[in-house]
Amino acid sequence: MPKTHSTLLGVTRGLLWLMLALVAVLFLFVIGVGAALIVIWPEIAAEAKNSQVFLDADAMRPQLFALLGFFAAVLAAALYILRKLQALVASAAGDPFIPANADRLRHIGWALVAVQLLALPLGSIARGIAVPTSQFADMGGINLNGILSILLAFVLAAVFEKGAAMRADLEGTV
Amino acid sequence: MAIVVKLDDLLHARRMTLTDLSDRIGITLANLSILKTGKAKAMRFSTLEAICTELECQPGDLLAFEADS
Repeated sequence: MPKTHSTLLGVTRGLLWLMLALVAVLFLFVIGVGAALIVIWPEIAAEAKNSQVFLDADAMRPQLFALLGFFAAVLAAALYILRKLQALVASAAGDPFIPANADRLRHIGWALVAVQLLALPLGSIARGIAVPTSQFADMGGINLNGILSILLAFVLAAVFEKGAAMRADLEGTV
Repeated sequence: MAIVVKLDDLLHARRMTLTDLSDRIGITLANLSILKTGKAKAMRFSTLEAICTELECQPGDLLAFEADS
């Protein structure tokens, strides 16, 4: 393997671990915020009212719980995608054109679809509780980059499937 | 598969082993074994030429078509 490729793979491997750590931190953040919503809700509601970001700070606790739930589901999908990407990168050190990698890419594509679907209720809840001009109201919703990523994952899965079939043919050629 | 490789018969008729053939034509024993056991999916013309040259045979002596029943 050329040196630049192995360096790139090494960097990618490191970045994936970094992103996994970030997802773990965000999971802890979700748990922390969930606990805070239970334990110190009056203080949070008062602070939210002062921020002028929310429409009805006193009545938004159920929506915040729902937001946390959807956010946790997005994080779970992100964790799944990152683990699949790690397996892909690990296989790239040897022969990446194997049927398992086509399956991994297809699974990543479906996980990205799930993320986009989860972003819809997430965005709708955020818009329901925050003032329209706030950054909070911009959360979630349809994302063009996300849709492009889904297409890319499925196209790459098809390419890898074809590549794996060609490799199998080549290996059976004497 | 409908294509049958008769390498075993040809080698037997010439009292030659697979290892001998491998040494003479420079194709690995593993690849020749794949060919002999009918596990090959395709065959290069260069391989066919090397085997036919060494075994003094025609491609038709090495390969046969048997319709799947």
